[in-house]
Amino acid sequence: MVTLVQVVVSGLLLGGVYALLAGGLTLIFGVMRVINLAHGEFLMLGAYASFFLFARLGLNPILSLFLSLPLMFGVGWIAQRVLISRVVRAPLLTSLLLTYGVSLALTGGAQATFTNDFRSVPFLSGALNIGELAFSVPRLVACVTALVLTGAAQFFLSRTRWGKALRATAQSADVALACGIDIDRARMIAFGIATALAGAAGTLTSFLYTVYPEMGKTFMLKAFAVIVLGGMGSFPGAFLGALVLGVIESTASYVTTTQIAEAVIYITLLAMLLLRPQGFFGVKEA
Amino acid sequence: MNTRTRRSILAGAPAAFGLAGLILSACGGDAGESAAPAAPSTGGAAKGAPVKIGASVSTTGSNGKTGQYQVEAYQLWAEQINARGGLLGRPVEMVILDDQSDPTVGTKLYEKLINEDKVDLVLGPYSSGVTQAVSTVTEKYKYPMLSAGASASDIWKRNYKYVFGVYSVAESYFYGVIDLAKKNGLKTIAIINEDTVFPKATAAGTAEYARKEGFRIVFQEQYPTKVTDLSSLITKLKAAKPEVLVGGSYQPDSVLITRQAKELDLNVKMLAFSVGAAMPEFGEGLGKDADFIFGPSMWEPSLKTKGNSEFEASYKKKWNRDPDYHSATGFAGGQILEAAVLKAKSLDREKIREALSTLETDTVLPGKYKVDDTGTQLSHIPVVIQWQGKDKPVIGPDAMATAKPKFPMPEWKGR
Repeated sequence: MVTLVQVVVSGLLLGGVYALLAGGLTLIFGVMRVINLAHGEFLMLGAYASFFLFARLGLNPILSLFLSLPLMFGVGWIAQRVLISRVVRAPLLTSLLLTYGVSLALTGGAQATFTNDFRSVPFLSGALNIGELAFSVPRLVACVTALVLTGAAQFFLSRTRWGKALRATAQSADVALACGIDIDRARMIAFGIATALAGAAGTLTSFLYTVYPEMGKTFMLKAFAVIVLGGMGSFPGAFLGALVLGVIESTASYVTTTQIAEAVIYITLLAMLLLRPQGFFGVKEA
Repeated sequence: MNTRTRRSILAGAPAAFGLAGLILSACGGDAGESAAPAAPSTGGAAKGAPVKIGASVSTTGSNGKTGQYQVEAYQLWAEQINARGGLLGRPVEMVILDDQSDPTVGTKLYEKLINEDKVDLVLGPYSSGVTQAVSTVTEKYKYPMLSAGASASDIWKRNYKYVFGVYSVAESYFYGVIDLAKKNGLKTIAIINEDTVFPKATAAGTAEYARKEGFRIVFQEQYPTKVTDLSSLITKLKAAKPEVLVGGSYQPDSVLITRQAKELDLNVKMLAFSVGAAMPEFGEGLGKDADFIFGPSMWEPSLKTKGNSEFEASYKKKWNRDPDYHSATGFAGGQILEAAVLKAKSLDREKIREALSTLETDTVLPGKYKVDDTGTQLSHIPVVIQWQGKDKPVIGPDAMATAKPKFPMPEWKGR
């Protein structure tokens, strides 16, 4: 029984990190109807930022977030302004191609600049023991950080003027424009936030996993699974979807094997698409 | 031009950009030429038509980082042989392409090297997966190939006559570790591995050898490549209480397993990883958590093998970084090819094939090059290293050890 609780806890901690990545992805889709295939690469950039800030300045990853969050926000802002804005109202395929191209360019650029060497940040390790349960310290810290950031983003979206502007733009860009909302700016803010969140997810992975130019792809697959589960465009949905996915992955690995667990994740995805395609909180497209 | 035309062109631009990116990636081979062919340095008497030696090595993709070491070694070898007068008096020209860690791309590239670039000889790629695939091509065109970057024994189980192993096979990677465990009276072992060619071969070989040496395998499971969480697996493994844990893994999963073992307080007396452990980045990424961990290594800089100190010094000078064992096996591939050509006294591929099957020669690697009639490497044996603080000295086999192994691995909590 204890082990099962342990497994579920591990899954929840895992889900926290997925939530951070998926949240941004779903935000971009919601506000701009763009599927950002380069999102994983922003995670990768965030991971490298964390690594270099640690290696050169000795900043631990959580502290380095104070530097990397605004930096990644800026990167996202510029990306939206210069590239993504051109495909916002275009057919979906165009945005897929563009973001895929960006993804390739970033991966290639990273390989050229950083080389393919594996890096990792020896930040935290070990576990916090509460009774018979062991909570991985790095994962706990990562999950708490993810929660704080996701919470802040959700607060922004639901309680601030600009947050409302973003949601309005997501609902209907034309009507939002007619209401006097600067939708171009709203999109830049959305992309900036999403990229900052992806970069933060990258920072967390830098001490949980190994950093290398292609690392984005591993997490993107999970992020897509999460947003389908949660509902494309729904920020809270992504959060719930991530936790659910983490628990499914963890429990399935325990009850069967890690290999079969991968299949279970995708079967769940399939089931969701068949039975409730809008996900947990998604809105059925009119 | 009017606004409408400009807008439509601008709208088209990103699509074109993206489409270009898609096409580039789909094209595989041509998009991936890594290093330019090494210009033959005509020091000494190397003259005449160059001997073209072709290879595709992963410099991008999941094995890109490791493949890069092998490429550097090939180029270093080519440069040095040209400085010595070339191969049978002719300069060597390396034609090295990037297979992106993809076996399918690799096969296309070897077809290209053989048919279009018309290379005289070939050297092998990196990774068992790519090597197994391309060996079919080299076998078809009767190009003897030294597999300087692969070790899965399946490669030599197909009755091919033109593939020769440089490394010892994956199955034997952990023999030294098992021997050490047995010497210390351990009885139970757990084996986990990534479900790709090389780790599966390592796991299978280790399981067989362990059983033969009287061990009981209390847990054995595979996990998918690029896994993000092994905590459930480790939780189950912990319940089986193994004394030895062996991971058939590459670097990222070796690091993940170690971290999660510590988090879940999985304590074993011996912990070993096949590929990750011997690399310097393992210690850098894990800090003191890497202490006490064992790993097989095809080569260490401290070994007193043929040409090793010169190899190490010249590699560092040319590439500005230390070689790792993949560099050494690549370099050994060159050394063996050279020895075979000299033995055959010709560049005729059939004669070279003949020479490679019977040749016995020393290289920078420990042991000797010697193959059996299937081409399987017999005498290049891996040494065992152990992380002891910031160093990873060779602790076995005894003849090559520079330090004593620290045993057993203390519990995580105690450290």
